[in-house]
Amino acid sequence: MSFSFDLYVQRRSWLHAVDPRVKLAFVFLGTVLMLTFKNLLIMLLSLVVTHLIIFSAGVPDHKVKWVWKAMLPINILIPVLWVIFYPEGPTVLFQFWFVKVTALSVVRGVSLALRLDAIAFICFTWLFTTDQASLVRSLVKLGLPFEWGLVLAIGLRYIPTFYGLYTVVSEAQQARALDLTKGNFFTRVRSYLPILVAMMISALRTSEKLARAMESRALGLPGVKRTCRRDIRFRPADYVYTALLIVLFSLLLTLRFRFGLGTHPLYLF
Amino acid sequence: MPSEISIHDLHFSYPSTPSSLPRFRVLKGIDLEVERGEFISIMGPTGVGKTTLCLALNGIVPRSTGGTIKGEVVVAGLDTRQHPVPELASWVGIVFQDPESQFFNMTVEDEVAFGPESLGLDPREIRERVDWALTMVGMSQHRHRSPFQLSGGEKQRVAIASILAMTPRILVLDEPTSGLDPIGKAEVFRVVRELKQREQMTIVMVEQESEKIAEFSDRVVVLHDGKVALVDTPDKVFAQVELMHEIGLAVPQVSELAHLFNTRRNTRYSFISLEGAHQVLTRSRSENAQHVICNTTNESSSTSSGHHRLKTEPCIVTEDLWYSYNGEVTALRGIDLEIEDGDYVAVIGQNGSGKTTLVKHFNGLLKPTRGRVLVKPATRNLQPATLKDTTDLTVGQLAQTVGYVFQNPDHQIFCATTREELAFGPRNLGLPEAEVRRRVEEALARFDLEEYADIPPAVLGYGLRRKIGVAAVYSMRPRIFILDEPTAGLDWRGTMELMELIGEMHREGHTIILITHDMKLVAEFSQKCLVLREGRVLAYDDTRAVFKHSKVLRETQIEPPQITALAKQMAPYGMPDDVLSVGEFYAAYCGRFWDELQL
Repeated sequence: MSFSFDLYVQRRSWLHAVDPRVKLAFVFLGTVLMLTFKNLLIMLLSLVVTHLIIFSAGVPDHKVKWVWKAMLPINILIPVLWVIFYPEGPTVLFQFWFVKVTALSVVRGVSLALRLDAIAFICFTWLFTTDQASLVRSLVKLGLPFEWGLVLAIGLRYIPTFYGLYTVVSEAQQARALDLTKGNFFTRVRSYLPILVAMMISALRTSEKLARAMESRALGLPGVKRTCRRDIRFRPADYVYTALLIVLFSLLLTLRFRFGLGTHPLYLF
Repeated sequence: MPSEISIHDLHFSYPSTPSSLPRFRVLKGIDLEVERGEFISIMGPTGVGKTTLCLALNGIVPRSTGGTIKGEVVVAGLDTRQHPVPELASWVGIVFQDPESQFFNMTVEDEVAFGPESLGLDPREIRERVDWALTMVGMSQHRHRSPFQLSGGEKQRVAIASILAMTPRILVLDEPTSGLDPIGKAEVFRVVRELKQREQMTIVMVEQESEKIAEFSDRVVVLHDGKVALVDTPDKVFAQVELMHEIGLAVPQVSELAHLFNTRRNTRYSFISLEGAHQVLTRSRSENAQHVICNTTNESSSTSSGHHRLKTEPCIVTEDLWYSYNGEVTALRGIDLEIEDGDYVAVIGQNGSGKTTLVKHFNGLLKPTRGRVLVKPATRNLQPATLKDTTDLTVGQLAQTVGYVFQNPDHQIFCATTREELAFGPRNLGLPEAEVRRRVEEALARFDLEEYADIPPAVLGYGLRRKIGVAAVYSMRPRIFILDEPTAGLDWRGTMELMELIGEMHREGHTIILITHDMKLVAEFSQKCLVLREGRVLAYDDTRAVFKHSKVLRETQIEPPQITALAKQMAPYGMPDDVLSVGEFYAAYCGRFWDELQL
């Protein structure tokens, strides 16, 4: 039994109705903002806001949980490594062997991890609520060739499929007594080789079939301009959102560079 | 009137990979003319070039595949050499075998609109065509769903709609039902029937199901060795039972029956449908409620005649087995089961009924959410084995006892040579190298794979890859063999050869657990039949008993083999209602009407 996993959540929410170009702008500007701030509280605030947005668009809990689960390794790894390699500040919380755990580096490590979470969730507000067709359409409208947009969409589309393929192939090899839990790190990495090779072969076969299927649906018909069943159009609300986005972005950027908002990991100013 | 499809002396070779191998010549001079509005079925053994021929009809062969081509293909008046594939696509639409890899949109609607959008049509017309195409295949109510979340039959219907929306004059279907469960097959054939009746479309269908071919086709094209071996109406083609078998293809069971009568009784029967056979066989026969008991007249010594076996120890036991994926989808709902040592069990049911989920518990790939699964592991010495909970056994221990051949051989194949592939399992078991080599050679010999021993299995044809998949599990010498749809995609000969090998292993004492949608195989080869529906056991009994009670099959929408259905329909004439094979039918019929046949 296979479980397909789509990023897109089909709903009729306010956010689904927003023009994908506006959402794309949100992703871009939001990411820029997150990269300019270093403050823990701002990251937390941003996470709260994106969660509110995502939930208000009717995205179910398990999708959100899935994102957090996927981000978990990063959330553990970054603070730990940061604390070990970049001790800073006067307050030493505790010390063992050569590791000096300082308060400042803990805060910085955590806020770095949260920054990535914040960026991830900004992207997911877009991916959860934008169906593939409008996603491609918006990219094409912004000047990207249709094929590129299609490739991106298919890439996103096939991530879950390949994850499913991974599950099946690893089961198939385990049935041949391949033990993935035995031995040290290197033996284990090596034992994933059969799975990777079998997956590559399957993936190649799939991509070949996919190419044929697309050609058979007249993709790239010479001398014909591709049309679109439903075009995307800016509604009045979309202009309002865009204006709001620009105002907020400028405001936060001004606060950051004129008044030094969020440059310290712990204190806002 | 010029032909709609005109193929003249078509030769084709694929570019060779790796280049050290000889170039693979697929088509060796195909000539074929198809009239407008005709329904043509193409049959041929695995690897004969059926798909290649389909791809040649819209120019993918050779434009996208590369390779060398000779000869001429003209479709709807267009020479495929002079028009690019996307242009031909609006004239010749192809529905591919694998529904999964022909979708690249997130909703059914977008999928169907993709073709017309490529053609640059007006948005309003696109919407009209999408509505029409989805109505044609009965998928309008699913238009906003993701095509990936549909069932197999629904997927294939969407694939057909996405082609119809381009309103091609020729529709090519390349084994559209081969990966589907019985319900899915029925759905797709229903759509094909509609199209044949309502639209004046020329249809070319590659299919293995001879019964369906007989029902639909105006003419049947039989390919053999890269050439057209036969082109004729279904009754003429299926009358040549011996020739068809020689080529490696199946004929409808009623045609086999006609052939049996003709050779043994000098009749001149020619059946291609159940109704036809019924009409002829009941003509001038009186109804008689007195049934002949089939078992006593069991002429064919099929492997299913294991009625006198003593009850042996169970080797797999499940106790109140429940399983749910991610705690969300419950796939198994309280399965209690005992599989005896040396049994041959067929597991049947629609997709999603829990077949694969169940058997994955037998080799420990899945562990029960509730209840337990006991398996008798292999013992090194001759100590009596005892049942053990699968949660206490390692992957290795279980793999040594329970072999599992996966549905798609490509999920297991990865080595540089066939020999390496067969050695992978035994090596994982930690066997000494001499023993590994001995087993590999034995498996190569047994599965007739010696000539491919040093070739990368991934470049071989599907039938061979399938066989290597089974051999690679065989070399681990498990006592219990699980085979998940091992014959899917194989031709009649490949199927029979594989079933024969499985039968041999069974006779040597292996326990066989076979998942399949092919009821003919179930009837002919298995001793017991486990029918699953929605994660529950609907029936678990002798195969004959299961087929006798048509209620069980009907409840889960599985059609019995044609010959079983025919005998059942003839029950008022005294035919037994538990016939499992053509041989049994013949014997019962002769037993019942012996006196009349003497006349």
